[in-house]
Amino acid sequence: MLQPKRIKYRKVHRGRMKGRDTRGAEVSFGEFGLQTLEPYWLTARQLEAARRAIVHHIKRGGKLWVRVFPDKPISAKPAETRMGGGKSALSHWVAVIKPGRVLFEIAGVQEEAAREAFRLAGNKLPVRTQFVSREDFTAGGESA
Amino acid sequence: MEQILLDAEIRSVAGKAVKRLRREGFVPAVVYGHHTAPMSLQVKERALHQALRVAGTNHLITLSLPGESAPKMVLVRELQRDSLNHAMMHVDFYEVIMTEKITSDLPIVLVGESKLVKSGNGLLFQGLDSIEIECLPGDLPPEIKIDLSTLTEVDQAVMVRDLTLGEAVQILTDLDEVVVKILPPQVEEVVAAPAVAEVAEVEVLTKKPKAEEEEPEEAAGKSK
Repeated sequence: MLQPKRIKYRKVHRGRMKGRDTRGAEVSFGEFGLQTLEPYWLTARQLEAARRAIVHHIKRGGKLWVRVFPDKPISAKPAETRMGGGKSALSHWVAVIKPGRVLFEIAGVQEEAAREAFRLAGNKLPVRTQFVSREDFTAGGESA
Repeated sequence: MEQILLDAEIRSVAGKAVKRLRREGFVPAVVYGHHTAPMSLQVKERALHQALRVAGTNHLITLSLPGESAPKMVLVRELQRDSLNHAMMHVDFYEVIMTEKITSDLPIVLVGESKLVKSGNGLLFQGLDSIEIECLPGDLPPEIKIDLSTLTEVDQAVMVRDLTLGEAVQILTDLDEVVVKILPPQVEEVVAAPAVAEVAEVEVLTKKPKAEEEEPEEAAGKSK
């Protein structure tokens, strides 16, 4: 699973997820992409499950880009612990996602295969997603 | 070259008020150029959509404005789209002078299919999806096509130097860059066990004094 090698601070504030993602909101590397429509903290496990679903479907051929990285540490209290005692130990890592963010990109496969791979990946994620292609963002593209 | 006509109107609304224009079916636009003062415009979304489907970014558009004696020859310099529904938000037109050279990004279009890729024995890698060129506006090609059926071996590549665009067009992109290449097929990686470091093992660059760091764990232990 993805996680940082080094971090500057072990525990961070929660932050807020207002508005949309403006960076990383277009298909930049591949031909097709999977875009989120909701804000969420996607965990490294969820991203790995989605990545595996894509790789498993496209098997040989095709190149995959993971456009997000879970770099936010989340702490959680152990089970059956009373409240208080300060902030707990780290539990897992998440990527902060806002609507519009392209999570995965793919190239070198037919559109039908990419659609199916992203449908399977979307089922592994707790957010609504949509299939996007590079053409959607160019001059000749269609609006949804 | 096919002539593409587009009617525009002068826009007096600016700032956040353009939201109303979009609701009424217009797209805010601007036209500028080397010897042209910037002018705020609005164009009908439907007409713009039809024009862009044919023109893309590398085809001259004849833009007619009310009160102007001659239409302007323009290129679409930038198109802003909504990131979720891809609706057109704003368009920049660049007025060209037909005797002055311009630089532009020429899209690369792949046609045909490599036998290796079709049989699954090769993976198509596209290094560039456009190249930068310099030419007169009248000589601007709409796109460059690359025939993939000529790629028959693994590691065979088409470089920028292999592209032929005629003498009127000068390529500004590095000639040694790879446009497309056939790579050996990738095999699905088999992960036996998740060999990942524990969450707490990640190195912290700004370590706190030790006593302070251990405090929360001790406190958690007491509360059990």
